[in-house]
Amino acid sequence: MPTHRLKEYYSRPYVRAILIMFIIIMAITCAMGWVVVGFMNMSGGPASEIMEALEQTVLVFTIASAPLIAITLSVIFYSLTGWKHSSGEEPPMQDSPAIRTNPVAVISWITATSLLAGFLVVWGLIELATITSSSYGSVSANQQPNSKKAIDINVTGQQWVWTFEYPGQEGITSPKLVVPIDTPLYFNVTSVDVIHNFWVVELGIKIDANPGAITNTGVTPNKLGTFNIRCAELCGMHHAYMETEIQVVTQEEFDSWVRDKGGKRTA
Amino acid sequence: MTAVVFEQPAVLQPKQHGKPGGFLRHTSIFTGLAGGIVLATITYMIGSKLVPWGTQNADFSQVGLNALIAATMFAWVIGFMAGIGAFAGPIRWALGHDLTHDDAEYMAGKDQGKFRYWKYTTDHKVVGTQYFVMVLVLLGLGGFLAMLIRTELGWTWSELFDPNFYNSIIGTHGIVMVVAMIIVVTGPLGNFIMPLMVGARDMAFPRLNALSFWLLFAAVPPLVATLFMGGIRDGWSVYQPLATQAGMGMVGYQVLIIVFAFSTGVASVNLITTAVTMRARGMNWSRVPIFVIGIIASSVMGLVWFPMYQWSQILAMSDLVVNSSFFNPVAGGSVWLYENLFWLLAHPEVYVIVVPATAGILELMTVFLRKPLFSYKLAIAGFAGVVGISAIVWVHHMYMTGFAPQVGYPFMLSTELISIPFGFLVLVALGTMWRGKVWTRLPMMCVYAVIWNKVIGGITGVYLSDVPVDQYMHGSMFVVAHFHFMLMGAGLFGAMAAISYWFPKMCGRMLNERIGSIGFWTAFAGFQITFFSMFVAGLQGQPRRVLQFDNMFNVSNWISTIGAYIIGIGMLIFLYAIITSWRGKTYAPANPWGAKTLEWQTETPVPLENFPVLPVVTSDPYGYGVPDPYDAIEKELARDDNAAKVPQ
Repeated sequence: MPTHRLKEYYSRPYVRAILIMFIIIMAITCAMGWVVVGFMNMSGGPASEIMEALEQTVLVFTIASAPLIAITLSVIFYSLTGWKHSSGEEPPMQDSPAIRTNPVAVISWITATSLLAGFLVVWGLIELATITSSSYGSVSANQQPNSKKAIDINVTGQQWVWTFEYPGQEGITSPKLVVPIDTPLYFNVTSVDVIHNFWVVELGIKIDANPGAITNTGVTPNKLGTFNIRCAELCGMHHAYMETEIQVVTQEEFDSWVRDKGGKRTA
Repeated sequence: MTAVVFEQPAVLQPKQHGKPGGFLRHTSIFTGLAGGIVLATITYMIGSKLVPWGTQNADFSQVGLNALIAATMFAWVIGFMAGIGAFAGPIRWALGHDLTHDDAEYMAGKDQGKFRYWKYTTDHKVVGTQYFVMVLVLLGLGGFLAMLIRTELGWTWSELFDPNFYNSIIGTHGIVMVVAMIIVVTGPLGNFIMPLMVGARDMAFPRLNALSFWLLFAAVPPLVATLFMGGIRDGWSVYQPLATQAGMGMVGYQVLIIVFAFSTGVASVNLITTAVTMRARGMNWSRVPIFVIGIIASSVMGLVWFPMYQWSQILAMSDLVVNSSFFNPVAGGSVWLYENLFWLLAHPEVYVIVVPATAGILELMTVFLRKPLFSYKLAIAGFAGVVGISAIVWVHHMYMTGFAPQVGYPFMLSTELISIPFGFLVLVALGTMWRGKVWTRLPMMCVYAVIWNKVIGGITGVYLSDVPVDQYMHGSMFVVAHFHFMLMGAGLFGAMAAISYWFPKMCGRMLNERIGSIGFWTAFAGFQITFFSMFVAGLQGQPRRVLQFDNMFNVSNWISTIGAYIIGIGMLIFLYAIITSWRGKTYAPANPWGAKTLEWQTETPVPLENFPVLPVVTSDPYGYGVPDPYDAIEKELARDDNAAKVPQ
């Protein structure tokens, strides 16, 4: 499109107003990304690389979809405030311009939304592949643990408690999860009655606990502290109270906790 | 609109057996209720002799009781349908007694006054009105239960309700609202307005039309009865094997779904056939109003996917009643099979709800903006794309079930692709709005609210479509807020826009706009408060369907509860506007909005066979607008460009 036509277009009052609104709304929308992440971190996270990665995804997705949100909202706001109104009981005498279609608008919209969706898909697929490898990385294809010796933990949900068993530590069991920092954890999750959902909130992992099946997930905590484990699948009367905590401690504290429980770490 | 009179050749009438209407002269909702109660009581008496209370099987579970309740509930449905005369048609057919014209007119409610609303009436306008009242009742019930949920969640530090009762409130709220939202546009407007819009005298299958409504009516009492029988304690998705613990309450849910699926199937076939085959002369596919396209799209999805849901409940009922083990992992069943069958409908169901409301909005925007619909073909492509892709996205509800971790990849792809056809519809809305002079009446103002809600629902949906982010957000209050933005914010508020637009035609009165607007905007404000703070609760990590929660969620839940009460007040005001306007004396002219679609071209109230003379369509219904003033400038610039191109 020649520049003098763009200039003519830009000289129309509504185009300028919508552009300004577009920029403002886009800035607000991008800022909302950080607000969302801020709320996600209110309980003390992120406590693992997975959680950091998915918070990054939230930010990226917010920024990527901001232009489309901004154009939609600025048009409806301008329609409410800028273009003329008519009120009254009778239908307005004066019709609006008969714009049946606009090939430029249609083609650029389809291109833009397709590019956006394509970007989200590609980002999501790469992200998922990365997270999957870091979730399950504690037992990689050649059975060689990533960095340290991974800890296997058998998670059992039942109405309405969680039980954690450490088969590598002589099978000690505990109603709360105590794990050493920077060590890959590998969870075998199952249930004895109905479907539960094992959600380690600040570590960003979640998997259903199904009766009659074992599901797997894994994570490497990288922050000391006490975090929440909640059941995220309605599991009956006391579903709301089916929560416990995960304590991420140093290796020494973990070893002494294991000894107190009567187990020892089998090298 | 040109009217041409066609000569109608005389048709040979079949023999009239007895008075017009036959058996149906004696039936009404009251004989239906009597039939249902009698047959249910007989079934219960006989059944309780065969399997007395407390009968146990080898596993000590009370299978006999569930079987008894299921048989009683089905007996109620069959007795009711027999009592209201639903089987009169097939029996006449079997006896070879064809309907005469007088029979058909009697069944359409001719000369029966208001009593026709209480009968098995085939007139599409009567059925549409019956659906309308039914929807209001269901939304009232679901809304009341929502208030109870928010009351419990606002009442922190103690349990207001028994946990089992609270769980059954959640489940009942969910399923009542899902049923109400599925029918809220296609029921009243699809039945009442759509045949008028395509210029037909009635639906393609008038008796099936009555059947679909009364099946729905018969399915509701079993659902309400569950509240007194242990309830649906498992959310509306009733995942197995938790559902088997709920016992009797589950039976009511299953009966509801099995019967409602028949009702939906019958209604979908009827709507599709009417729109495809009964359009007025000259209304070719490029002249069909976009609302009709939306109704077809929604019906196609309902027709194809509802059987999945129905079968999931038939198998679940078999587990409960005869101890089969389709979904019982202890005996070799699969909980993942249930989840797949369920979500095969339950995701397309979201589009079944949102698509007709969206189509209604697009339809009414053209009227209030006095502009043609922007890029009609793009809108059709959008609906077609949504219908097509909706078939292959259901697993995004199951990312975290672990049934196949690799399945996340293809379903993330399809889920994010469905945003492209939905984006088409957004462009159609924005393009129609572009440079339009708005006539600021209530239906149009609702459109702004709906687009805002769709934007919020859309961006939060972007997060949830992503598998890694779902590791945090799945099963949290964030999801609840997201789907309320789509189903309520886009679906229900869109339906309110459509209902206030077509209210003058349906009810023959103008909707009181002052009171209606106050109600709508109060509800809208409350809606934003409720669900934005629910987003916050979800992001902080509050799981859904809980009764109590950690102290860190207190503030967001209190705000959410206050917002919910505001929604409740707003909705009651809107309901008041509907009821008082309907009973009022502000009669509506035939075409109060100056619209060009066919339903406004006939008189109000609409006569028995809709049009004295069937209309003939000569153009598409969007012939609004004046030549664009900028076109002159464009032409001038184009001329300059061409002049510049001429070699010197």
